[in-house]
Amino acid sequence: MPFPVFFIFTLRIILVSHILWALPWEYPNARAEGERLIITGSSTMAPLVSEIGKRFETLHPGIRVDVQTGGSSRGIADIVNGLADIGMASRALKSQEQHLSGSVIAHDGITIILHTSNPVQELADDQIRSIYTGSITNWSHVGGPDAAITVVNKAEGRSTLELFLDYFHLSNRDVHAHVVIGDNEQGIKTVAGNPNAIGYVSIGTAQYDATHGIGIRLLSLQHIPATIETVREGRFPLSRPLTLVTKSPPAGLIKTFIVFAQSPQVHDLILKQYFVPLQE
Amino acid sequence: MSLQSRHGQDYCLSVLIWTGATLVTIPFIWVMGDLLWNGWDHLSFSFVFSAPQNAGREGGIGPILISTLLIVGICMGTAVPMGLGTALFLSEYTRHDHVLGRLIRGSLDVLAGVPSIVFGLFGNALFCQILGLGFSILSGGLTLACMVLPIVIRTVEESFHAISHEQRVSAAALGLSKTTTIRTILLPAAFPGLLVGIILGLGRAVAETAALIFTSGYVARTPESLMDSGRSLAVHIYDLAMNVAGGNPHAYATALVLVGLVFIINFASSWIAARWTSCNRLSA
Repeated sequence: MPFPVFFIFTLRIILVSHILWALPWEYPNARAEGERLIITGSSTMAPLVSEIGKRFETLHPGIRVDVQTGGSSRGIADIVNGLADIGMASRALKSQEQHLSGSVIAHDGITIILHTSNPVQELADDQIRSIYTGSITNWSHVGGPDAAITVVNKAEGRSTLELFLDYFHLSNRDVHAHVVIGDNEQGIKTVAGNPNAIGYVSIGTAQYDATHGIGIRLLSLQHIPATIETVREGRFPLSRPLTLVTKSPPAGLIKTFIVFAQSPQVHDLILKQYFVPLQE
Repeated sequence: MSLQSRHGQDYCLSVLIWTGATLVTIPFIWVMGDLLWNGWDHLSFSFVFSAPQNAGREGGIGPILISTLLIVGICMGTAVPMGLGTALFLSEYTRHDHVLGRLIRGSLDVLAGVPSIVFGLFGNALFCQILGLGFSILSGGLTLACMVLPIVIRTVEESFHAISHEQRVSAAALGLSKTTTIRTILLPAAFPGLLVGIILGLGRAVAETAALIFTSGYVARTPESLMDSGRSLAVHIYDLAMNVAGGNPHAYATALVLVGLVFIINFASSWIAARWTSCNRLSA
């Protein structure tokens, strides 16, 4: 290798290593213990808990809240293995998980909605299943006027769709939908604009709109009225608690975070994600 | 065969080929049109550089863009030197039918066919847990490097094979050492092929979701170090489209940024390749 080439080559290596050296490298042990809170689990809860974490960080400078997704089961597995401080589960703890400590931070509930002019007051679970699978196609079969039913379904990938299908033991391929909608507001607008439509949306949004003059009515399920109160009490059948799970009863920073996530300080965040907060 | 029927055959063939070529472009135009139609209105300077708000429905993608560039940077910074080394080994240091070479090629072909979610779980187990890197940009970048290595190695190896054997023989006849031959003859000649390998690898890395969601993670904060968790653009699009009610408009806009990024990388690479070739022709 001729000398100038060798010289430039060496110079480049020195330059590159200096640039690498100057980068803000940090090693895992360099961070003080307890400054970081790792939360993993339910993808339904991850956006909400990320937002709660962001607000928590502004109130507690120096503390980092890292939220990871992967599903409720993963959240439970991660806290059992010690990979996370808090797990997120968008369901109640199962009987074999009772040794863990769960704290509900909000509820997710779904209501069936009809147009206000529709005389049908209540539908049995079987009737709703028949309507969504296409074996009942006219309102006269369920005590309504002689009009064809417009079935409004959610788009693939929505947690509302999952909860709905799960409750009625349906697969999305069984559903004969006439309209497929994305978010809650779109579903409400579709039903409010069509007297013969049936749809389902998050209770929080539906109740807000119904009490603010939008032409929809929330149907009772199994004779339990669809209200934010019955969801909050855990009585409404088509609902699930959003739970933060810890390995042992929460203490220290973990406890501070869970108490914060249950406090009215985050209710606006919970409502923005269309969930039902704990208290008024 | 009469002249007329031969004309007829030519005509049929042309129609078939044109139809095929047109059909191939339809998905591309459809996807781009859909992205532009739904995403263009939400795209702005502040969208690209500001932080996401309200689970990504508002705000922008600044921190996510930074994380993506870091992840892809680590991925290519690891995969390119290792890939180049392995390709040199396979093409210049072993005979084509050598047992070790065949073993490496075979395992690379298997690796290239492994679904990315498997790489994600492997990366989560090795980098995040066993090596203790946790959910971090470093874990994500290294996992992606494992994923794109087969593509980089096989492309670069092909470009070494494309160099005529006479060049190596002539270099040896002139008394050039192996190092000098590789540095002054083989590497410059294989450079366009190396760029193709990099582009293919980058394209796969930048669009990856499944391998990253369990390695570099979901945190949408600006990373302070490579040990921080950082959300990539593809993970953000997936989350907005599938998990956040009302996230679609920003999912489209983010997808537009991602496609733009891929375009910039591709154009820059082909520009470098073109310049390189013309420079070499001048000096030759």
